[in-house]
Amino acid sequence: MPSSIEQARNGPHARRIRDIISVWNRKGHYYLGLYFLFFLWLFAFTGLLLNHSWSFAEFWPTRTVTKFVREVRLAGSSGDLERARQVMQQVGIQGEIEWTDAKVDSPALAFRVARPGWTWQVNLNAESTSATVEQTAINNWGVMRVLHTFTGIRAGDLRNDRDWILTTVWALSMDAVAAGLGLMVVSGLYLWIGIPAKRTLGAIVLLLGSLVCAFFVVGLWLVY
Amino acid sequence: MPKQLYLLTRNLHLYIGLFLSPFLLVFAASVFFLVHSRSSQPAGSTRLASDLALPAGIERLHGREQVAALRPVLKQIGVQGEVNYIRSIPKEHRLVLPISLPGRETLVDLNLLQRTATVVESSTGLAGAVVHLHKMPGPHNANIRGNSTYMRVWRWLADIATYGLLFLTLSGIYLWAVLRAERRIGLALIGAGGISFFGLIYAIVH
Repeated sequence: MPSSIEQARNGPHARRIRDIISVWNRKGHYYLGLYFLFFLWLFAFTGLLLNHSWSFAEFWPTRTVTKFVREVRLAGSSGDLERARQVMQQVGIQGEIEWTDAKVDSPALAFRVARPGWTWQVNLNAESTSATVEQTAINNWGVMRVLHTFTGIRAGDLRNDRDWILTTVWALSMDAVAAGLGLMVVSGLYLWIGIPAKRTLGAIVLLLGSLVCAFFVVGLWLVY
Repeated sequence: MPKQLYLLTRNLHLYIGLFLSPFLLVFAASVFFLVHSRSSQPAGSTRLASDLALPAGIERLHGREQVAALRPVLKQIGVQGEVNYIRSIPKEHRLVLPISLPGRETLVDLNLLQRTATVVESSTGLAGAVVHLHKMPGPHNANIRGNSTYMRVWRWLADIATYGLLFLTLSGIYLWAVLRAERRIGLALIGAGGISFFGLIYAIVH
């Protein structure tokens, strides 16, 4: 005779909950995949571009560089970031600010502004009256590559921070894609567990993948 | 025939997905560190190796030849991994080499005149390991990249994971398209994803 715990586990109420979880897990698996489809294609394809340096996707030799000087007028004697923003507004450029030298609060100011496809090296003169701008434009292959790595921050670089709203939005979308991919993996594992006929071969394949991956993540470190 | 194709696609989607799932989790988890962590490399332990047997003319070599010539030297000082690049300081007869393994960074400073090496080893932990694997082999120093066995194998695995992911998306589209009841909502999600994706890229680039 089944115990009360077994009855509760196999009762109609528990079965209905399991069915609901199963259905929504399956739906969630492909809903996430369909929503993130273009993001996954971009990051997968640009990952290949970054790893292979294929000649058809070269972008640096075909870059175009132009230089111009603009008169600027800065209001007040605020900090470097505020001064850089004023210069950018008057020059007509938008993007992520990267500090390229260690000067802080000096009359002269040098910084780079970047967004996928464009880079501007801006040098403000000591009198803060004119800005020399060197603009570099790259082709669409370059744009795609930059999108893969466009986070606005770098490990070990504490001076630069995300200061453009679209960099933050793009970084959050990278987070969302990564979280979505993680959820798809977990929901996929749940879907597989629900197919008893595929459990053995699936377990072998999963174990193989896990061992190979674990060897690289922790194994090499332990061995050497 | 369509049923056989469906079953084959479903099985391949399942088994390729299962094999790749740990790799995809590594790539996904490392994204959070790459996007949010700015911590620098932790301070390492320093040791000095002396009386090294150095190949003649090592300073004059370049690229892969130089890396290959330095391998026995690295073996003498017990350092393994991928040589990221070699910085030559001719005036001081020094070669400086950062060497990576997932979870460990080593900086070797070779003094060719004194035949000594200062070795600084630091552990970057699990986070450092997944970040390193995510970024490798990468676009930098392509002329010497893949100078260690693990990197040559990882290059293949990273490719397999990426092509596999592309296959999973395409086979996933096919498996979804077969489900007539889900087509409308699926198309709406592809549309919503497309608008978010292209809208965001348009705003960032233009």
